[in-house]
Amino acid sequence: MIEVLLFGAAADRAGTRKVRLEVEEDSTLAEIWPLLTDRYPGLCPMRDTLAFAVNGEYARMDGRVGPGDEVAVLPPVSGG
Amino acid sequence: MFGIVEEKIDVGAMIGAASRPDCGAVCTFVGTTRVDESGGNSVEYLEYEAYRPMADRKLEEIGAEIRSRWDVGHVSIVHRVGRVDPAEASVAIVVASPRRGPAFEASRYAIERIKEIVPIWKREVWSDGYVWVGSQVGTRQA
Repeated sequence: MIEVLLFGAAADRAGTRKVRLEVEEDSTLAEIWPLLTDRYPGLCPMRDTLAFAVNGEYARMDGRVGPGDEVAVLPPVSGG
Repeated sequence: MFGIVEEKIDVGAMIGAASRPDCGAVCTFVGTTRVDESGGNSVEYLEYEAYRPMADRKLEEIGAEIRSRWDVGHVSIVHRVGRVDPAEASVAIVVASPRRGPAFEASRYAIERIKEIVPIWKREVWSDGYVWVGSQVGTRQA
């Protein structure tokens, strides 16, 4: 299992802030994205604007993810 | 000090903590809630959320970047989350340096980097709905 945290507009679009997903060892973020959008199709239009983090650090779509990891879905940041 | 806080930011205390005998300049940047207006509606407040502890760590990273680029004696960056009412501070940056140049430059750098890399999001709550800044997602009719 991984825990996926959603923030800001992504949490709005999905209607949830946290979801657990079953993933295989040595998955990638690119493989996890369709699992998320199957469940929350409202996220689809945001795809090109989103960044991702794995265990609290920015990660690319080919970044590795496995059981026990925390993935965060990050819309464009707007602090300040 | 670097980090996310939920309470009002005490800018005076931050400036006090930055004052040192080896620095002749203390530069402070404070970002506050501005009331925008459009079509007879206006912003009532801003609401911020952060991904912690990543956001705290990214603020520390910005501090480390500043120390590697400029001769500064003190850097602190604090960002508030939750509801921030008009004219209240959402973010405060205080930099002390021996001379004024680095303090001005580093404080500007800090706010620009916050807007690039720190996982914090704001929602403008208007009289007629809300909108997530940067995503244009919300309940407000454009």
